[in-house]
Amino acid sequence: MLLLLHSGGVAAHTSTKGAGDLFAGALHPLTTLEHVVLFIALSLLAGQQMRRSRTEGVLLVFPAALIVGATAAAWLPQLPGATLINMAFAIVLGALVALARDLPNPVFVVLVVSCGFVHGLANGAAVTPEIRSYLFIPGVGLAGMAVLAYGMLMTDYIYQRDNGWMRIALQVAGSWIAAIGMLVMGTGAGTMLTN
Amino acid sequence: MAFGGVLGGLGVPVPAVEIGIALSAIVLGVMVAFAARPPLWIAAVVVGLFAIFHGHAHGVELPESANAIAYSVGFVVATGTLHALGILIGVLNRWKAGAKILRGAGGLIAASGLYFVSGHLIGA
Repeated sequence: MLLLLHSGGVAAHTSTKGAGDLFAGALHPLTTLEHVVLFIALSLLAGQQMRRSRTEGVLLVFPAALIVGATAAAWLPQLPGATLINMAFAIVLGALVALARDLPNPVFVVLVVSCGFVHGLANGAAVTPEIRSYLFIPGVGLAGMAVLAYGMLMTDYIYQRDNGWMRIALQVAGSWIAAIGMLVMGTGAGTMLTN
Repeated sequence: MAFGGVLGGLGVPVPAVEIGIALSAIVLGVMVAFAARPPLWIAAVVVGLFAIFHGHAHGVELPESANAIAYSVGFVVATGTLHALGILIGVLNRWKAGAKILRGAGGLIAASGLYFVSGHLIGA
């Protein structure tokens, strides 16, 4: 009882100075539509691939590719037309989800790694001298892992339930993502290439 | 819709967009009114062709200042959600009275399409 009375106030948020950069890193891809759309597409595709083979390893490979890409951004030049590249990924990944076809493992791995690296580069470019990159970059990786895990779990659940309309809804989501990519490519190509 | 939106956004002209949109209301409305059940591929082609007109009209309106990604996400999500709503309304077809209401609604949609076409022709 005495011990309970003795305890002081507790802050809900960490008081460790600089830890905010970890959260900033996690939020950076999650607050950018072009990244969120891609992460979701990749998570749905990964979930679909789980029907055929064990693809849980993607939960480590994708964040690792993100982290490598974000780290490489320190010395690699920024990709010209990065948004267009992201949208090209959206078209490909969205179409694959819509088709719901099994992919050969090497093709799937190449997609995951290239997507992760390109997104990592884009997120790493946001690191300024004031930001602690050793916290920001793992944050980016954690966000990628979290979105991927949620999407894969949801997709796996839908396939386990063997519910026809839910599978169709999943494929429709893929077609929406491909459509978004196509629209952005078509309507924003001119301005994005110059940026 | 998205393909039409791209054409509109790029400024690629599509002939008779307004008539195409009005015709879509007439054709689809009549199909609903008569409870037509065409083969799936025919339905898909009809809907896809008309969607190009609708998408084009929206793509043309894309403001210069708009964020292309936010606009595209809104465009696709709103289109898809409206379709989902339509599918939900279509569940009425399971009940006799509901099927009649749906057919009546189809007739009204066709009539509104006719109104737009006639207005366009009179205006021309």
